[in-house]
Amino acid sequence: MRITFPHMGNLWVGVKAIFEDLGREVVVPPLPSRRSLELGVRHSPEFACFPLKLNIGDFLGALEQGAEVIVMAGGVGPCRFGHYAQVQAQVLRDLGHRVEMVVLEPPRGHLGEVVARLRRLAGWRPLGRILGALRFGWEKLRAADELERAAARARPLETHPGAVDAAYRRALAAVDAAGGIVGTRRASSEGVRAILEATGRGGPAVGRPRLRAGLVGEVYMVVETFANQEVERRLGELGVEVSRSVYISDWARSHVFLDALRLTGRTRATLVRRAAEPYLEHFVGGHGRESVGESVLFQREGYDGVVHVAPFTCMPEIVAASLLPELSRDVRLPVLSLFLDEHTGEAGLQTRLEAFVDLLGRRRRLGEERLGEGRAAAWKSTSVSTSAR
Amino acid sequence: MVGAGLGVRAGPSLRAGATVGLPRALLFYELYPYWKVLLEGLGLRLAVSGPTTREVVEGGCRHAVDEACLPVKAFYGHVVSLVGKVDALFLPRVVSVRPGTYTCPKLLGLPDMVRHNVRGLPRLVVADFDATRPGRGLAAAGERLARALGAARGTARRLVDRALQALRRYRETLTLTGGVGFEQASRLAVGKDGVAAQGGGPAGPRVAVVGHAYNLFDSGANLGLLRRLAALGCRVITSESLTEAEVQTESVVLPKEIFWSAGRRVLAAVTRFTRERLVEGIVHVVSFGCGPDSMVGEIAEREVRRSSDLPYMVLTMDEHSGEAGLQTRLEAFVDMVRRRGLSSELGGREHGRSRTPWVSYG
Repeated sequence: MRITFPHMGNLWVGVKAIFEDLGREVVVPPLPSRRSLELGVRHSPEFACFPLKLNIGDFLGALEQGAEVIVMAGGVGPCRFGHYAQVQAQVLRDLGHRVEMVVLEPPRGHLGEVVARLRRLAGWRPLGRILGALRFGWEKLRAADELERAAARARPLETHPGAVDAAYRRALAAVDAAGGIVGTRRASSEGVRAILEATGRGGPAVGRPRLRAGLVGEVYMVVETFANQEVERRLGELGVEVSRSVYISDWARSHVFLDALRLTGRTRATLVRRAAEPYLEHFVGGHGRESVGESVLFQREGYDGVVHVAPFTCMPEIVAASLLPELSRDVRLPVLSLFLDEHTGEAGLQTRLEAFVDLLGRRRRLGEERLGEGRAAAWKSTSVSTSAR
Repeated sequence: MVGAGLGVRAGPSLRAGATVGLPRALLFYELYPYWKVLLEGLGLRLAVSGPTTREVVEGGCRHAVDEACLPVKAFYGHVVSLVGKVDALFLPRVVSVRPGTYTCPKLLGLPDMVRHNVRGLPRLVVADFDATRPGRGLAAAGERLARALGAARGTARRLVDRALQALRRYRETLTLTGGVGFEQASRLAVGKDGVAAQGGGPAGPRVAVVGHAYNLFDSGANLGLLRRLAALGCRVITSESLTEAEVQTESVVLPKEIFWSAGRRVLAAVTRFTRERLVEGIVHVVSFGCGPDSMVGEIAEREVRRSSDLPYMVLTMDEHSGEAGLQTRLEAFVDMVRRRGLSSELGGREHGRSRTPWVSYG
């Protein structure tokens, strides 16, 4: 029983660790690429959202390598993600693939059946072993997140273009290869140091970049760098440090580990909900409310702007995008909404990001002048909302 | 303002006789009799916006984000058309009409989207209807709304009972008319006049039109789709002809029930029409960019393709759709349905799977 799963940022590092720790055979799909995108787009429903299509590309790549079971997360609505598995199962079936899909979602009836399926996936290991494996996978995800945070901070400061990303890739490979929790932690801290040193400015004492932007939006588009056209790297190269509203370990905590550690996340969730309340009083599925609330929080934390990413036609994020312009005017926070899919052109995206970063820089300069000279500068708030098409 | 914790926000004193605006869009086409009986029973005057026209849609497009779908843009347009003409605007937030289902994420955010994007709004009456939570469903939340607007407990309860009865009558009439008589069913439900069930009509091909109620019945937005099919000689039946019980019966057999109520109905209708050979062709009318339909439509289409050779057409509508294009597509479709009927009478040689057209209209 060779297990595979869809990509979502560095999720593979954790999932692979869990199953291998339990002695299962894992097929990690080829990393998302032009090829997997084309495969996915060709065989998916035309108007399905972008992540579904990329998932299909991942699955087809993994099936070529002999995968037999697909594990993925599910949901109970109202976001489309909750019906991904069914549509994907039909697509694969009609293509003639015989593959089993195991969906991790809150059950509607037979709890025992779901537990049994999970135990089977885990190779009927004792519960203690399973918890140990989950702990190990969690540690890997945390380590991968640390590396991404370090790279986001280092990129704007690098003296040789590409040096930080090269160091990041090496560090990620080391985290992936590391054995045991202690080994993973060591690989993580060594990796963070190597990434900061790659800036060519003297390692950990390097300081902070001048401009900071928050990245909010639909979780897959936020964490999957291929899907968001490496918006974080692009902003980094333009001199902006990017912080995400959500990292893969946050998502895994609530979705994959089935809320086992929920207490740690609850306070943050309440904060986000309250911050969103003046604009959005109700949940709208997916991450719509989070996009609004996190934008407010980024502004409170002194960020210069927010980039909002979502798949084209994403319902919850259309709600968020409808509210962000008003929020932007209210709290004077530049917001750039990007709806992305397989038709998004690179040049158009790059131009928008450059214009946005120019705007952030100009606002910062005006703000500093105003503070310095004590006169009312044209501290004009700007809302930029643009779509991919 | 009544506390948000109640899920109801209304002005403190909407005096009797005040005019309350109701946009003729989205769930208006499913719940109008309920809203009408409830609000008029509270002594308010109900002002429903006019039919969807090009101006209405353009007015909506000016305020909505580009990515929104046509029905949402039309909703904005209807709100705009009511601004300045009413004392208050009724913006129900219909999260769920049945336990275990949702409407659509955009409808969950609709009151917020409207209030942050349209200027000069009158007082808003926002009420949440959420059947996934105990005590928040259509009946309970309706009662809460009536109480918030000043009705006594007993009055509120009687009013909601009457409103629910109107809704039941509306659904029954809709079923009787094959799911095409929205106007008749609404009139009958709210007790204006009686209309007999639709007569037999000419023996043209039977064509099913499935989709969201607002896509079926808003003839301004769908460019008169049902009327055009009738003019081409078709006997039309829609997904709204199924009773709620029939929808449930068809749904429970699925590996996972669809969690959007409209999607559940569409899939149930397609399954039933196909299995029982009730129709000779199926048209699925969808809005460009509709999230639920992108998934449900795919499941439905694959289902039809696997189990039958029925002609099946997906009609995608947006604010750029033109009448000529629609008419041509419908004529071609109906021609094909007729030819199919003829050839099957002659021995069915043309009934090969490969002849089923799978076309999508962009």
